[in-house]
Amino acid sequence: MMSTSGVRVGRQSSIRIFAQEYSESSLVERGIGEFAPSFVITKLGARVNRCLICGGLERMERRDGDSGPYYAGQLRDPSGTHYFNVAPFQPELHPDAEELLARFETGDSVLVSMIGRQQTRESEDGGIFTSIRAESFTEIDIETYKSWMVEAADATLRRLSAYDSSQGAELTEEGLRNAGIPNDLVSGLVKSRQHYSEFDTEAYRVWVLKAFSRALGRAEDTEEIVSNNDFEPAIETTVQSNEGADPRDVILGIMGSNGGELVGYDDLVAACISAGSSGEAAEDAIEHLRDVTMEISEPRFGFFSSSS
Amino acid sequence: MSDQTKYANQIAIVKEECPNADEEEIGKEFARYEGDFLIPPEDALRSVIRKFQVSTGVEVSADKSPPVREEKKVDRFSELDADDRNVAIEVAVVSYTPRTQMVRGEEKQIAFGWVEDNPHEASSERVRWDYKDWGNKGESMIPGSVVRLEGASVNEWNGKRSLNVNRTTRVTVVKEGSGSAPPTSNEPLNIARASEVEGFVNVVGRVMSAKSDVIIRKDGSGEIPIVRGRISDSSGSIGFLSWKDFEHEVGSLVKIVGASVRKFLETPEIQINDGTVIEAYHDTSFPEVSELAKSEKVSIADLRNGMRDVSITLQVESWVQRSFESQNGESKTVRSGDVMDPSGRCRLTAWCEFDPSPGETIMIEGGRVQFWQGSPDLVIDDMNQVKVLSESPWDAIDPQNHWVEVDLTSLTQGGSRRGISTSGSIVMIRPDSGMIERCPECRRVIRDGSCSEHGSKIGEEDLRLRFVLDDGISNASLILGRETSEAFLGMGMDDVKSEISNVGREVFVSNLKNRILARKMGVHGRCLVDGQGAMLMAERVEILVPGPKEEAEEVMKRWEVEI
Repeated sequence: MMSTSGVRVGRQSSIRIFAQEYSESSLVERGIGEFAPSFVITKLGARVNRCLICGGLERMERRDGDSGPYYAGQLRDPSGTHYFNVAPFQPELHPDAEELLARFETGDSVLVSMIGRQQTRESEDGGIFTSIRAESFTEIDIETYKSWMVEAADATLRRLSAYDSSQGAELTEEGLRNAGIPNDLVSGLVKSRQHYSEFDTEAYRVWVLKAFSRALGRAEDTEEIVSNNDFEPAIETTVQSNEGADPRDVILGIMGSNGGELVGYDDLVAACISAGSSGEAAEDAIEHLRDVTMEISEPRFGFFSSSS
Repeated sequence: MSDQTKYANQIAIVKEECPNADEEEIGKEFARYEGDFLIPPEDALRSVIRKFQVSTGVEVSADKSPPVREEKKVDRFSELDADDRNVAIEVAVVSYTPRTQMVRGEEKQIAFGWVEDNPHEASSERVRWDYKDWGNKGESMIPGSVVRLEGASVNEWNGKRSLNVNRTTRVTVVKEGSGSAPPTSNEPLNIARASEVEGFVNVVGRVMSAKSDVIIRKDGSGEIPIVRGRISDSSGSIGFLSWKDFEHEVGSLVKIVGASVRKFLETPEIQINDGTVIEAYHDTSFPEVSELAKSEKVSIADLRNGMRDVSITLQVESWVQRSFESQNGESKTVRSGDVMDPSGRCRLTAWCEFDPSPGETIMIEGGRVQFWQGSPDLVIDDMNQVKVLSESPWDAIDPQNHWVEVDLTSLTQGGSRRGISTSGSIVMIRPDSGMIERCPECRRVIRDGSCSEHGSKIGEEDLRLRFVLDDGISNASLILGRETSEAFLGMGMDDVKSEISNVGREVFVSNLKNRILARKMGVHGRCLVDGQGAMLMAERVEILVPGPKEEAEEVMKRWEVEI
């Protein structure tokens, strides 16, 4: 691959990353020049152009677009959901996608490993939605999946450690290098620290612990500490971020501007996260608006509309 | 405990939302998430509800992608409308003023300023607009430059129009501004850091050696006097080449201001020119020559093409001598062999009467490195550069089983090495894996019956597999030649050939993909590194059996995490 200046661009390595870290990202670094790679930069400073992800296949469908058929699906990992697609211009992957679709439609549980490239789109109000364009994928067994979870946990802990070291260091590449941050994380971390407001890293540690617990085969243990009547998956109490947009305003803004259509829960949470609030704050805001101020209603589970 | 009892609480919630769903089915779904996907029921709730909403006919909103606005390309601001969103235009940047502003309660770095359309014409022909930069485009939008904006939008307020440069706007510099050049630091770099850059640097170091030398002009017009030597600090050591007088003695501490770092082959070197200032430097805590000399010793892993003045200790594995006739008819003898140290192995060539026995430990001082078939080859020209040691600094190395484990990142950032083992995940199986034809003259791969060097040829069949190995930080091409491929596939070349002709190359590669993609692979072999990246030539590969429990324990220990 050549960039316009004639300098060969090395192949981008495949970042191991859990779905939640990737989906919370709202910073895109676009390459200048025809073949220059673009990156999604996560809050922890991972510069993602290519990634290696795994998860349970939760959805897989074939759709027809203007430029031909394409495939869209979701992979579920301990932290959340990766959205991926196989584009119309990747006909070489369509046989594999058909096969995966057939496997999905049998109702069997399919664990998938996927190498893919970053992909983003921006909503009208500036929210960034991240997804993954598949490059290759295959079904894997549960041991390989567990092994990937450990690798992704390792990579996440490495980024968390670099993020911690960057606190108090001068926010330049030289400054972070002097703080002992590995070379591959330096430029992403400078940009992420400038772009994102301070946030609580505790949630990241929670998925890492979940991943370890599954890899060690201790899924049974965690079940007992689960509260049964809690509607929301986020049981961990996290300090609510004071910074960032008030998620209630973001939600009401979306409700007010979409002409009364129902809006999905995940979309609302994603929009709030893009606007700078935490996932927990977004979920609290949805409940607050629904149950306390009754400004929104949930005519169908998981889908909301404005009450007025 | 049945699924229904175990997940009773979650099932009840799903039933509220999907009254028609069957409880047993719901229970099975939770069991599936927990058992097959390792997602506990409380985390799987929304996924399960979504599934039963779909399957029991509760409609779920479909495609949510927003309509894509077509790009509007214009030359002049006057062609724009107040609600244009996806605008492409070339403008001249007049000013750029960064400011911190509260946006939705969050501090954001934005900038504002003026841009002018029609940037390639005189300013009397231009129209000036205000703009706001929401996307931190300061690096590209330097005053005085001409940029192409793609994806900008028009903003109208109180009847006045301006341009918004958004986060997603692409800014391409068409003509660079002469305004502000990037500031260069006057701070000296340590030598390890200076060795990584190319361009002007300042360094502080102790002179370890300095020797007058001459460069003979190729056109025969005479000689240029130069001084070659090395300087060191606690971070490392670098050779220098001075084109002017160098009056500082070995052992003196100097500050070199405005020298340039250039690469000779793969070895960085400091060039001292007329514009370079060298001054005596005073720092009583700076390490002395004797201390720095210890760290000057290198190991095989450190060798780079073009190195000079190499000090190294080695164990000899094999030794041969060979005579040949040089171009002017003289009979010459060259001796060479394989040598090892704990960091790997390489070749050693001697242009002098050096005859060590296998197993002996030798020490070289003042050796040089050149490359042979992509791997480092140490060279000595003179018996004074080598001596046999009576004792080895390490336990004797067994040449039959000398593999040095190196992680992929160290490999890709280091030099070419032999005798290494490494591991990573397979992230790609190159589609040309399988049977190939090679040119009988140069062994290059023949494409469409033709060699790029020797034209149309009848090729010789060969088997080759090409993968990409990736550890999440670095990646390298991985190449398996015929023997390695045969051992890995567990079948001979003829069987591979008949399988490929039966099922086709695509199916062959696809089957291989299902077997090894995303799996971890261990590799033994050698590594070639050049400007295009790293290439592993495997002698032996194996799929590593996942051991998540042990892996988890190791990672938790490394990061001091406990459950």
